[in-house]
Amino acid sequence: MTYKTDEIWEDKWINTTCGVCYCGCAAKVRVINGVPVKIEGIKESTMGGTGAGLCGKGVAGLMYYHDPNRLKKPLRRTNPEKGIGVDPKWKEISWEEALDEISTKMKKIMDDDPNKIIFTNQTMRASDGPHNQPYIYAKAFGVEDNGNFIIGGGSLHCGNAAHMLGGLIHGAWSIAPDWKYTKYVLKWGSSKGTGSGHSAMTNARLRADAVRGGIKEVVFDPMGNFAGGKATQWVPILPGTDTAVGLAIANYILNTLKVFDSLYIKAKTNLVYLIKEDGTFIRDEKSKKPFVYDEKANKIKKFDDDSIAFEDFALEGEYEYKGEKVKPCFTRLKKHLKQFTPKWASEISTVPVGTIVQVAKEWVENAQIGSTITIEGKNFPYRPVSSVTFRGAQGHSNGIHQVAAIDLLSQLVGAEDVPGGTMGWPSKRQKYPGGHYERLPKIGPDGVLIPAVFYSHMPWPPHTPTIPCKNSGCVDFWTHSTLSHIPYVKERDYIYEKFGMKSRPEMVFGIAANFIISQSDWNAAVDFFKDMFVVQIDIWSNETDEAVADILLPDVSYLEKDCWSSEIDAFFFSGSPSYEDWYVHMQKPVAKPVGESRFFMDVYIEVAHRVGVLDKFNALMNDYYSVEDEELKIKPNEKLTWKEIGDRFLKWIYGKDAEKIEKQGFATWHKPIEDVYWRWHVASRCPVYMEFLIHDKKAVEKILKDTNFELDLDVSQYTPLPDWFWPTSHVELNEEFDLLAFSYRDILHTNNSTFQNPFIDEVSELCPYTFTITMNSKLAGDKGFKDGDIIWIENKYNVKEKGIIKTMEAQHPKVIGISGQGGLWAKGRPIAKNKGSNFCKLLPTYLRHYDPITGNVETSVAVKVYKV
Amino acid sequence: MKQKIIEFIKKISSPLKFIKTEKMGNKQNIIKSVKNIFSPSDSSFKPYDWMIKSTPQQEWIKEKGIFLWLAFFFSEIGAGLYFMSMFFQYRLGLILGWLITLVLGGSVHMLYLGNPKRFWRILTNISSSELARGMWVILVFAILGFFQIFTAKFNPFLNCMLGIICILIIMHGFATMNVIKALPSWNSTMVLPLSIISGIWVGSQIFQFMLSVSGSLASGFEIWSELFLLVYIGLIVFYLWGTFHSSEAAKKSINILLKGELAKGFYIGVIVLGIVVPLFFTLIMWGGNVNAGLIFFRMVFVFAGDLALRYLVMKSAVYQPLI
Amino acid sequence: MPRWGMVIDIKRCIACWGCTIACKEEHFLPPKVFWNRVLIGETGKFPTSRKLIYPVLCNHCDDAACVEVCPTNATFQREDGIVMVDYNKCAGCRACIVSCPYQQRTYYDKNIKDAEYFPGQGKTEFEIIGEKLYPFQVGTVIKCNFCYERVDQGIENGLIPGIDDDASPACVVTCPVGARIFGDLEDPESTVSRLIMEKKGKQLRPEFGTDPAVYYID
Repeated sequence: MTYKTDEIWEDKWINTTCGVCYCGCAAKVRVINGVPVKIEGIKESTMGGTGAGLCGKGVAGLMYYHDPNRLKKPLRRTNPEKGIGVDPKWKEISWEEALDEISTKMKKIMDDDPNKIIFTNQTMRASDGPHNQPYIYAKAFGVEDNGNFIIGGGSLHCGNAAHMLGGLIHGAWSIAPDWKYTKYVLKWGSSKGTGSGHSAMTNARLRADAVRGGIKEVVFDPMGNFAGGKATQWVPILPGTDTAVGLAIANYILNTLKVFDSLYIKAKTNLVYLIKEDGTFIRDEKSKKPFVYDEKANKIKKFDDDSIAFEDFALEGEYEYKGEKVKPCFTRLKKHLKQFTPKWASEISTVPVGTIVQVAKEWVENAQIGSTITIEGKNFPYRPVSSVTFRGAQGHSNGIHQVAAIDLLSQLVGAEDVPGGTMGWPSKRQKYPGGHYERLPKIGPDGVLIPAVFYSHMPWPPHTPTIPCKNSGCVDFWTHSTLSHIPYVKERDYIYEKFGMKSRPEMVFGIAANFIISQSDWNAAVDFFKDMFVVQIDIWSNETDEAVADILLPDVSYLEKDCWSSEIDAFFFSGSPSYEDWYVHMQKPVAKPVGESRFFMDVYIEVAHRVGVLDKFNALMNDYYSVEDEELKIKPNEKLTWKEIGDRFLKWIYGKDAEKIEKQGFATWHKPIEDVYWRWHVASRCPVYMEFLIHDKKAVEKILKDTNFELDLDVSQYTPLPDWFWPTSHVELNEEFDLLAFSYRDILHTNNSTFQNPFIDEVSELCPYTFTITMNSKLAGDKGFKDGDIIWIENKYNVKEKGIIKTMEAQHPKVIGISGQGGLWAKGRPIAKNKGSNFCKLLPTYLRHYDPITGNVETSVAVKVYKV
Repeated sequence: MKQKIIEFIKKISSPLKFIKTEKMGNKQNIIKSVKNIFSPSDSSFKPYDWMIKSTPQQEWIKEKGIFLWLAFFFSEIGAGLYFMSMFFQYRLGLILGWLITLVLGGSVHMLYLGNPKRFWRILTNISSSELARGMWVILVFAILGFFQIFTAKFNPFLNCMLGIICILIIMHGFATMNVIKALPSWNSTMVLPLSIISGIWVGSQIFQFMLSVSGSLASGFEIWSELFLLVYIGLIVFYLWGTFHSSEAAKKSINILLKGELAKGFYIGVIVLGIVVPLFFTLIMWGGNVNAGLIFFRMVFVFAGDLALRYLVMKSAVYQPLI
Repeated sequence: MPRWGMVIDIKRCIACWGCTIACKEEHFLPPKVFWNRVLIGETGKFPTSRKLIYPVLCNHCDDAACVEVCPTNATFQREDGIVMVDYNKCAGCRACIVSCPYQQRTYYDKNIKDAEYFPGQGKTEFEIIGEKLYPFQVGTVIKCNFCYERVDQGIENGLIPGIDDDASPACVVTCPVGARIFGDLEDPESTVSRLIMEKKGKQLRPEFGTDPAVYYID
C-alpha cells in the first residue's frame, strides 16, 4: 500500500446529492480525518450515471469546499459607485449588522409594496438545495405569481418555451427520449444523454446503453461537438431554423407519406376538437367544453363524452354547428402544413432536401404505428421514436414554434409517454409506502393536464393577458413566460409605464445568482439593478456581486449543507425519466460550514422572522407538503431551523422510515410502470392546437392598441399551429454582420460557477473548444484566421468580446460558437478570471429580440469578427 | 575578394539582423532574444493539442532537462579530446579529456538527475537500458583512462580498448536518444554517425587548440580538422535528409528545424556559428597558414555550433499523435 | 496469474472528464498532473467530419518501453501486468518519460510539489492531507498504476477486480456511462476478453509495438 494507512484515524463515506449542476445526481463523499477528499456516485441509486458513476464536474465539486476564496463573513459595499469593473471595497460586517440592515430595508419596502422586492432562485450555481422553497418564500412576502422572480441564466440557462410545452404536453419540466425502448432519436439543439439537460448523467447512462444496443441518433445542431459529435448522423443546421425542418418533415409525413397514428390523435390530442372559421373552438355554453364529432353517431358531442369510442372521433370533414361551418383542427393542421415543403425548409435551414425526406421516412418506419409491447405483463402502444429539444433550439425569438414543431413529430405518430417515445419526467409521483406526500397531476379545462408541480406559474389553464402589470416581470401580460425576461429588456421602463407597472423594484434578494453577466447585454442589466438594494447569498463574490451588490452573505456550499428537501419535489426534472425505481436524495453535510457561512434557508427563515412574515411562510410550507398531522406542522410563532423543519416533515413524507432514510441520505421505492408510460392511463389530451393563443392574441392586440404601445412585438406569433417566423438574429444579418454567433453547453461547465473550480479549470484547458471560439475551418481560412488567433466578435449594437480561435470541421460555416459564460472578471474568483469568452453580453436585449409569447431571448446574434 | 566574402557573410547572416535591432548593450535583451531563438514562446502548441498534433519532447531539454544536453556534450567532447590525444600520445590532452568527461560531464549529469544520490542504481539494469550501459562504459573509461594517464602506457591493446571506449562515450548521448523509438527523429539511422563525428570534431578542436598554445603549432593537424569539418557538415546534411525521409513524425521534426519555430536557432546556431564561421576560418588557414588565435576562435564557434546542433536535435524531437 | 487490462468503449464515452478528475482525487495528484486524460480531435471534412474522443491512460504495455529503458529497474512490471514505479529506486533520469510513445509519465519535481491548486493562496486541506497520505518523492517519476492499491486490497478482501468497485480502478468506478471495463485479459470468460473478441477491440497505435493492455471498442 502506498497509502499511509497509519496516518488515517477517520475514513468514511457520506451520502449526499451532487450540487454542481441542477441535475442532482446521487453522490457520496469520502472524508478522511475530517477532510473531504473524493466524490463518487452512489451505486445503489439510479439518480446519475452507471454504477457509482459521476461526471467530471460532479467529481470536481470537492473544490467548492476547499476554495480559499469562499466568503467567510458577511460583506458590505463601501464604495457607493456601482458598475462593471468597479471595486465594491468590501468591508466585513457581522451577521447581526447584515441581517438588521436587510430586514429593516425589507420591512420598509413591504410597507409600501412587496412587489418591489425581486427574488432569485439559485440556478446560477446549482440546484444545491431546496427547489420550490424560494417561490414559497417569495409568496410569504406577498409577491404574486412569481412575477418578481429572475434567474441568473434566464437566457443561456433556462428554457421558457421548452418548459411551457413540457408542462402542457407532459406535465413535466423537460423531455427526454425513452432510451430503454427507443430505436430512433431526433435531437434538436439539445444534448440530452450527452452531458447536459435535466438528469444529465441519468440520461447519459441510459443513452450509452441505448447506443450500445444500436439505436440511431440524428442530431440537428450548428456544431458536431457534444450531441452532434456523438450522433449516428449529424445534420448541420442554422440556429433557429429547426421549425422549418420540423414542419417540412411533418408535412411530408402527413401529406406525402400519409401515415400517422390516427387512434392516438383521436384519443390523446385536441386535434379532434371542432373549430370555427376564426380558428376558435366551438364550446358547450354551460360547461365550456369543446365539441367533437362522433362519426358513428353522426353527432356533435362534448370532447369527453363517454359514448364515443376513440376510433369514432372525426379527424376530417366539415360539419355544421348553430349555422356555422365547423371542422376538426386536424383538417386545418393538414392544410396548414402543405406550405412547408422540404425544398422551402432546405433554403431556410441549409439542411438538404434529401436529409429532410430521409428523416421523415425513417421516422415513420421506426415508429411502428399500431404496434404494442408487453412490459411486466402490461400492454402498451410501442413507438420507438423520439424527438427532443432543449436550450439550443428553443432559445430563439420564435422559440414556442420551434418546440411545437419538434413536438408535432411525436404527436403525429403517437410517440408521447409510451415505450420508446418522447417522455416527460413522470407527471406523477405517488407517495412513499407508508408516507404521505404525493404529487398527482390534474386534468384541467379542455382535457389538458395540469402538472403536479411546476416552477413559477402553472402552464395550464392559461391566463388571459391583462394590465396593469403588478410586478417587474409583467407576467400579467406575458402569461406564458415561465421566468420573466422583462427586467433584462432594455425598454422595460417604457413597458412599465405603458402597462401601468408601478412596483419598480427597489431590492433584490438573490441566491448565488450572477444575473448581470449571464443573461444578455451586461450594461442593460447594470442599468436596471444598480439603483436597487442588492443582497446576495453566495459562496464567492462573483461579477454581479462586485458590480451591484450592497450586502453579500456567505452561504454554505452543498458539501456543508444539511438539506432534507433537495430533491423531494424536483421529481419532474430530476431522477430517472425511465422505468426505474424512485430515488430521492438529500444533502448531508460532509464538513463544517466554512467560516461563518450559513445555509440560505436558515437565513431566509431568520429574515422572514425579522420582517414578520415567518408565520405566513410556515403556513405555506405546511400547505405545500400538505401536512395534516398537527404534531408535525410548523406552528404559529414557531421559529425552526431548516433541519428542524425537516425532522418533522420527513416523518410526514416517509412515515416510519423517516429516520432510516435520513440516516442513509436517500429514499427509494417502486415506480409503477403506468406512472412512467402514463399517456394511455391518464384521460388527458395534448393541446397540439394551441387555441388559447388566438384569445391571447386578441387580448394582447387590444392592450397594445389601448396603450398606444409602439415597440416591436410580433403578435402574429400568437397562432395556434406552429408556423415559421424568422428569428431576430437572422433578420439582423447583413453583409457586414455576416455570421450568427451561438452558444452551447460544455459538459464541464454549469454556467459560470464551475469556472472557479481548479480541477475543472485545468481540464478545460485540455479541451479544444471550452475556452475558445469555434469556427468552421474553411470559413476561418476564408477570413484569414488560424488556430490561436485572437479575434473580436462584435454585434450591431457596439458590444464586443474577445476570444481565441479554434477551427473545427464539424461546424456550420455560417456560425461561430462560444461555449458560454467565460470572460469573467470578478476579483473574488481568481481561477475563473479571464478564462474563455462571454457569449451572453453579445445578446442584444430589445423587446424584439424576445419570443413574444414565452419571453425567450434570441440566443443567436448577428456578428462580425475581426482580428485584434 | 575580401569584399565579396564580407558581402557573403552579411547575406547569410541576415537572420542575425533582429539582434541588432534589439539594443545590443542591453544584456537582458540579448538573453531574451537568444531565449526566443531557441525556445520560442509564441509556440502555437496548445495544451489541447497534446498528443493530437505532433507533440514536442520536453523532458530532456526543458527546465532541469537542459543539464542533460550539457552533460552529453561534455562527456562526449571530453572523450573526443581523449581519443585524439591518444593518437598523438599527448598526455595533457588525455588528462583534460578525462577530466572533462568525468568531472564536467559527470557533475552535470548529477545535476540533471532527480535523485543524484541514487546514481549508483543506474548501473543495475545493464540488460536493456542503454543509459545503464553508457554508465558502465564511462566507469570503465574512468579506470582505464586513469591507468593510462598515470602509467603513460600507450600499448596497442590499451589504445584499442580505450579507443573503442571513447567512441562509445562519444556516441553515448545520441545512442541513448537513438534507442527511443517513440521519437522518430532520434531513432533515425543518421543520428549515430553524426554523433561520432561531432564528438571527434569538437574534441579535435580542443586538442588542436591545446597543441597551439603549448607551442607546438599543429599545422600538420590542420588537415585533420579540414577533413573532420567536411565530414561533420556532410553528416549534418545526411541527418537532415535521412531523418526527413524516415517517417512522418521525423519529417515534422526536420520541418520544425528548417522552417518551423526552431528555424532561427538552426540557421544562426548550426549553419552560421557551427558551419559557416568555422569554414571561413578554415579557409583562411587553408594550406597550413595556422595561427593560435584563429584556432581558438574557430574552437569557440565550433563549441557554440555543436551545442546548438545538439540542443536543436533534442528540442525538435516530436511524438507521433495518438489519434 | 491474471493479466489486468482495460476496455474503453468509445461509443459510450461522452468526454465528461470524470475519469481524469476522479483519478486526480484518488491519487491526490498535484495541479497539471494527469494520469488520465481525454484526447479530443476530429477526422474528415465538413459536413461528414467526425469527432474523435479517446480517453487515455498508461497502457501497462506487455513490451513496455519504459521498463526497457529504466537504468535502475525502478520501473517494473508486476506479474499481473501492472507497470509501476518504485519511488525508492528511481534516480530521476526520465528516460522512461522520454521513451513512452503514449507520454503517460510525469516527472515529479519541486515545481510540481510546490504547485498550488489556488496559486498564491496556499495549499488546501485536500493537498495537505494528500501529501501526507499518498506521498510522492521529489525527483522521481510518477504514473498511472492501474489503482493497484484498490486491486490488491480488493483481492485481499475477497473481491473481484472489474466486478467489485472496491477492487477496480477509480476511473472505472467513476465513469458515468460505463465506458470503462476492467478485468483479466488472460481469462477468456472475463468481460474485457469477451468485449475485445466480440467488438474487435483495438489497441491505440499498435504499430508502436508495445502491446498495450488497454483496448478500445467502437
